[in-house]
Amino acid sequence: MRSLFAILAAKTAFRINRLTGTGGTSLPGMVAQKIDKDILAKLIKNNFPRGVIVVTGTNGKTTTTKLIADILESNGISYVYNRTGSNMERGLITSVAIESNIVGKVSAEVGLFEVDEAYLPKVCRAIQPNVILVSNLFRDQLDRFGELDKIARSFRNLIEDLESTQLVLNADDPLVASLGYQLENEKKVTYFGVGDYSGPKLQHDRTADSIFDPFTQEKLYYTQHYFSHLGKYRGKGGAFRRPKPDYQANNLKQNGIESIQFDINSANKPVVLKIPGIFNVYNAMGAFAAVKASLNLEDDQITKALAGSAAAFGRSEVLNYNGREALILLIKNPTGLNQIIQTYLLSEDDRLLVFIINDSYADGRDISWLWDSALEDLAQYKGKVLVGGSRADDMALRLKYAGIKDVLAESNEAELLKLILKHSSKRSKLFILPTYTAMLSVRSQIVASDELQKEYWQ
Amino acid sequence: MKPIKLVHLYPERMSIYGDYGNIIALQQRMDWRGIKNSVVNIEVGSKIPHDTDLIFIGGGQDRGQVIVADDLASKAEQIKQFVESGGPLLAVCGGYQLLGEYFISNDYGQLNGIGLFNVVSKATNQRMIGNIVVQSDRFGKLIGFENHSGATEYVGRAQPLGKVIKGFGNNPHDKLEGITYKNAIGTYLHGSFLPKNPKVCDWLIGKAIAKSGQSIKLKPLGDSLEKRARNSSLGRP
Repeated sequence: MRSLFAILAAKTAFRINRLTGTGGTSLPGMVAQKIDKDILAKLIKNNFPRGVIVVTGTNGKTTTTKLIADILESNGISYVYNRTGSNMERGLITSVAIESNIVGKVSAEVGLFEVDEAYLPKVCRAIQPNVILVSNLFRDQLDRFGELDKIARSFRNLIEDLESTQLVLNADDPLVASLGYQLENEKKVTYFGVGDYSGPKLQHDRTADSIFDPFTQEKLYYTQHYFSHLGKYRGKGGAFRRPKPDYQANNLKQNGIESIQFDINSANKPVVLKIPGIFNVYNAMGAFAAVKASLNLEDDQITKALAGSAAAFGRSEVLNYNGREALILLIKNPTGLNQIIQTYLLSEDDRLLVFIINDSYADGRDISWLWDSALEDLAQYKGKVLVGGSRADDMALRLKYAGIKDVLAESNEAELLKLILKHSSKRSKLFILPTYTAMLSVRSQIVASDELQKEYWQ
Repeated sequence: MKPIKLVHLYPERMSIYGDYGNIIALQQRMDWRGIKNSVVNIEVGSKIPHDTDLIFIGGGQDRGQVIVADDLASKAEQIKQFVESGGPLLAVCGGYQLLGEYFISNDYGQLNGIGLFNVVSKATNQRMIGNIVVQSDRFGKLIGFENHSGATEYVGRAQPLGKVIKGFGNNPHDKLEGITYKNAIGTYLHGSFLPKNPKVCDWLIGKAIAKSGQSIKLKPLGDSLEKRARNSSLGRP
């Protein structure tokens, strides 16, 4: 009875939200949780006959989850997922409650949820997922998450407690791979990874945190190093080493900033992914492995869907801003920013770079991570760089010390948008790199101005 | 001229909160003045060169600090002698704690420091996080970000780096931050510390030049961006 009221309340709150245009996907969940504190477990455990997949890790959660959703979609498997990236407890409740009937029944076959690292233990103890995919662990918002080791320890304790959950782990990240090692109760672990990479690399990558054997603390030996601490490694004495991936991407070929292709386990047919960069290959491989581990699909059925997949909201998303092609590239930590630099910013096109750095809670209050990123790799960049956000001046300072000379700071968003037009032409590509709250805001401004223009021409 | 030699202690295990920014600032502010310099990374097991002119150590994860504490014991005499003879040193966060008498961590018990600074630190259940502003007699306003659960107290004679105007500093109660001893500074300010506090950066550079036995007058740099970043940081909650 209690859960019935909870679901009703969540649905009502969601409708009011939509009618009044006050977004917010966590409020309905919060209301429901106030009425029935076990609502999350009830909603998820009694549904989804083909299983529940949880995606976590520092970078790529939203993209990986969207790739899995696209795979399910194109294979006619119905699912529910937290599409907007609202990935804490309440966001999950909202996403299921709005799809359920009044007694909490959902018709979808699969539940698919990205979950914030800090909430993973609590959420998974409640919902007992069939699969947990951990993509990577990089330093991120230390003010909010704390240190990497602590996150990994909380994951490990969770994994030991879960009865029948399968793990899908990135073999190339030592800390993530170690989550599948020497578990007390045997679990099915599926590993994915990248076999080789010869694309561009950064000179100033300072983000390798987990380069030590998690069990002995001795330094790992890398035979291949892709970026941050991802690569092929082994510990001294060889007890801990990179596990052999069940699914490995080989023959990576980057086609400019348009796409990247690779094959899986040396299959003849390459996959062409429309979102470039080795980090997106990891996202795709994680999605592939999670689907293989939990659903009975052929390789072809999965790779076909991957090839058709486009970017997620604000993550390498292409928009139109007054006739200019604008790429929105969310940044939130040094590894993510480095991957954007490596994939998008080392080429010589006619382009304008725009950084928008906010320091709200959702961005991380601490912006010192900017100093750990490889902005020195842009020192040869000759064009203008615009910086905005509440920390525009800090970013301008960071760029000065990276040796980038032509920088203009404007913390007012409306003024910044005008400056973007002033300093670009219709031939220019705009590379807009916002932190999370800046992304939400600038994206909606650009989308709105695009719609306004379309109306005018109609 | 003889290049100024900077030692970055334990960058692999002790550089998690933008600590590279301090090295970048030191190097750039020398480069901009045409002062030759080099950075030597010293990891666990390797030796600090004898002709070192400046030492920097940043903050790390607790687990990294256990191994570093062990290794520091073998370097303790050399570091102390370096500071006693006027060598400049900057220690941030975890590095600051380990150069004190000891640090009691939540998960790993007591880690012995090298006793350069008259401080002891103890992990608490309170995380001291946020923007911090400190008033220092020598350097004026210092601006940064802090993120630590270790609380630090003075033992015996100690010269604070400054008084806390906003934020926590050494601990939640006495409104003092950091320590100075001879030409060594220990502090909880990161974010990064030196780029936004160019006075401290130039002071350290001056001491490093003196340590190298040379005399070079530091030309002033146009610090307009530094000033802007300082001002707008002061306005952040």
